[in-house]
Amino acid sequence: MDDIFDSSLNLEETHHKEGYNQGYSEGLATGKEEARQVGLKVGFEVGEELGFYKGCIDLWVSAIRADHTVFSSRAQAGIRQMEELLQRYPMMDPEDQHVQEIMDELRRKFKMVCSSLHIKKIEYDGYPKAAASDASSLEF
Amino acid sequence: MERLELKEIQRLEGHTDRVWSLAWNPVTGHNGVPLLFASCSGDKTIRIWEQNLSSGVWSTKAVLDEPHTRTVRSCAWSPSGKLLATASFDATTAIWENVGGDYECVSTLEGHEHEVKSVSWNASGNLLATCSRDKSVWIWEVLPGNEFECVSVLQGHTQDVKMVKWHPTMDILFSCSYDNTIKVWADEGDSDDWQCIQTIGEPNNGHTSTVWALSFNASGDKMVTCSDDLTLKIWESENIGMQSGGGFRHWRHFCTLTGYHDRTIFSVHWSREGIFASGAADDAIRLFVDDNESQVDGPLYKLLLKKEKAHDMDINSVQWSPGEKPLLASASDDGTIKVWELVSQR
Repeated sequence: MDDIFDSSLNLEETHHKEGYNQGYSEGLATGKEEARQVGLKVGFEVGEELGFYKGCIDLWVSAIRADHTVFSSRAQAGIRQMEELLQRYPMMDPEDQHVQEIMDELRRKFKMVCSSLHIKKIEYDGYPKAAASDASSLEF
Repeated sequence: MERLELKEIQRLEGHTDRVWSLAWNPVTGHNGVPLLFASCSGDKTIRIWEQNLSSGVWSTKAVLDEPHTRTVRSCAWSPSGKLLATASFDATTAIWENVGGDYECVSTLEGHEHEVKSVSWNASGNLLATCSRDKSVWIWEVLPGNEFECVSVLQGHTQDVKMVKWHPTMDILFSCSYDNTIKVWADEGDSDDWQCIQTIGEPNNGHTSTVWALSFNASGDKMVTCSDDLTLKIWESENIGMQSGGGFRHWRHFCTLTGYHDRTIFSVHWSREGIFASGAADDAIRLFVDDNESQVDGPLYKLLLKKEKAHDMDINSVQWSPGEKPLLASASDDGTIKVWELVSQR
């Protein structure tokens, strides 16, 4: 026994459901696209930084091969450690928990090696700069 | 009981901006060598001051006005007294050598990305530490020919690092920061493996605001720290020998001195005679000593004296001189340095 008013009574609920489904699928699409853009950006930045280190290391290693006294033993040890860190970097697994740890260590070693080699500043546009402490400590 | 007072010997003028820090040359003040110290300032210069042996009068011996391009925040003499290291807001640390009374800049240490805040030599003079607003602490090795090589870059503080200081006998480094903590660093392996071995923070009875300075007693088993939280804290450790990697590695809270200052305490320095001085933003200098008559649970250090209006503005640094009869020097935002003598009141 169909109630002739049944469909109109459920009108609100029906529209609510319809709107929800529409919003959900649209959100899914735009969210995916946004995530893709962030992934591309971050992936590019990480790749660029790793590539930068790789380039520096390859050059330094070649220089050492040509003359093994060219850099101090401490600098050479630092360069070797950077090489190992780069090999260990889980390039294909961005969710690996060691990603940040290895990147921090690479940056630390890079600073040390540059200082040992008396390199004042080599960097590229967008090279990550160490953030200074809060502005409130600026003066002292 | 005799009453003591801090008598002003001389007020030294010359810097044209606030005076940040000063350092006594450790090999002066005995064997007929006149006392000498270096001071550094917001005017970008370093001044060398020497006492005339016969008249006792202090005068400027040299003004080092290059190569720093910004405020010189801190200075330190090597244990031999031959080299002076100066840390600047221009992100560099300069090394000066005394060549027959002339000071020559023989090396510039680069690597920090922001202002260098403090510099310290270890006891044997073969290692140098620097710290910066970039939150890092660097350790440098002194090589022949005034060469300095970076041994390690230490990351751990989460804010501006205010001061670095080596233990007086061991190669253990201490740093204190705007992140309210003190960190202890030691070489854990056989090759440049410097690690943070202890962090002294609020959960361990630590400071609740910026830790500005630290100093050790003569035997190196006590350390005093001062803070923006208006307290001075004493920490203790022991020399447990080489078995467990050497002594003075783990520090415990010993006591807290509260209620003596009502403004930020910027500087503290422990004399070899066991008196520690504090300088603060309230323009006063205070001296503290061991309290022999202290009751159980009572404070273990007592105020020896308080010198109100020691300067017209904030006191940034207080330092005891070497020599048999130590003098105290204080540096202030008012642009002056004062030399004080501790004398009995008549």
